[in-house]
Amino acid sequence: MKRFRSNLRPVSVVLTICMLCLSVPYTPCAAALIGTETILDATDAKHARQNIKEILTHEDVKRALENQGISLKEATARVDSLTAREVIALEKRLEELPAGGDALGTVVFAALFVFVVLLITDILGHTDVFPFVTKTASE
Amino acid sequence: MFFPKGCADDLPEQDGSLQCAVCMPLAVLLTVLAVTVSSCATFSKQHWPNLASYKPSKQEINSVPFFPQKAYQCGPSTLAMVLTWSGMPVEPDAVVSKVFTPSKEGTHQPAMISAARRYARVAYPVSGAEEMLVEVAAEHPVIVLQNLGLSWFPRWHYAVVVGYNLEDRTVTLHSGTTRNKRMPLQVFDKTWARSNRWGLLVLSPDDLPATASEDRFVSAVLGLERAKQWNAAVEGYKAALNRWPGSFGALMGLGNSYYALGEKACAADTFRLATERFPTEGSAFNNLAQVLWEQDEHKKALAAAKRAVAIGGPLSHVYAKTLEQIQKHSP
Repeated sequence: MKRFRSNLRPVSVVLTICMLCLSVPYTPCAAALIGTETILDATDAKHARQNIKEILTHEDVKRALENQGISLKEATARVDSLTAREVIALEKRLEELPAGGDALGTVVFAALFVFVVLLITDILGHTDVFPFVTKTASE
Repeated sequence: MFFPKGCADDLPEQDGSLQCAVCMPLAVLLTVLAVTVSSCATFSKQHWPNLASYKPSKQEINSVPFFPQKAYQCGPSTLAMVLTWSGMPVEPDAVVSKVFTPSKEGTHQPAMISAARRYARVAYPVSGAEEMLVEVAAEHPVIVLQNLGLSWFPRWHYAVVVGYNLEDRTVTLHSGTTRNKRMPLQVFDKTWARSNRWGLLVLSPDDLPATASEDRFVSAVLGLERAKQWNAAVEGYKAALNRWPGSFGALMGLGNSYYALGEKACAADTFRLATERFPTEGSAFNNLAQVLWEQDEHKKALAAAKRAVAIGGPLSHVYAKTLEQIQKHSP
């Protein structure tokens, strides 16, 4: 039996080396490329975030938010805290609002206005209108 | 999501020997039906462009082959028609296993989309009458989902729109077992509206939809990547870049598809172009770094990885990992 084992040793050494060869070439490829889907999502989210922030800087929206005790800076920070998916869902809602001809028509603006105020209060946890917004604060 | 269960519009009717127990409720049902139908028999104009002035006022696409459907299998047969038309000859029977759900005797819309992709074709959903007319005018047949029954008694059915004539207000369909079936626009719209006027284009990747928008088309090509149809994806992204040279998504998709094909030199060139055109996009530098590193260009890879980390952004954790890996394994 002993003899059999010692005869077998070179075989197992060869086998071990073979196994190592099989696995070694693949180890350095741990990191990978960033996939197209992730890139598209990130780009969409960036545009959506910009659009929403632009609306926030509108004078009437700003005033309404300040009346609620929320500064523009705070509101912008809240939008930044939304995930890519949330921001994209949000912008979809914006697109569903009645489209105005030039710039922001009064009717469209009223709708936007209500929308944005509700959004911010949603994020603050005062309201629960948009299911896609993760509520942060509620005490 | 709608589910076309039936597709059985062309199956023969049951023969007339109905029991009287059935007759009475049936009569009531028919009365209700007649009232329902007559009350909503007006054509919903707001969903269609002005038919009198629409140009071209008629169109027939003659190059779409016709495969009559077998029982319930309108999904596979419509798909086979448009696939063959697009230059991918295929028999309905070959498509069945890819789209048909036997337990439901029907085909889901997502199954239609994914099957088209598995045949290396761009699946591009369209919706509404305007888009459908524009595509048919551009000689692109459109698969439509109709409910030939009622909302509470659905008979879902797929057909291919191969023409329209707004002068005599008809739509021409390859439908069920009928080639070039002419259907009054009013009836067509009623049955189509129940799917929210859902339509699907199945196109060769280098053939852009007439209604193509950058976002929607690039997403459609991304579907080819998901179906591992990298060659088709390369073609599609190239077509997208010809139309929208400023599309960052298409450029990165092209690089990623080349990479998946093992064409690393092409991938590196594409990512390099992306870093030049979009110097503030970290992901372009990250992917360039990764490919260069795999090609043993360690110095250049290191520089690109460092740029990505410096740019930062929501994917910065990936950039950091790429840089770490390059620093660790470089000589």
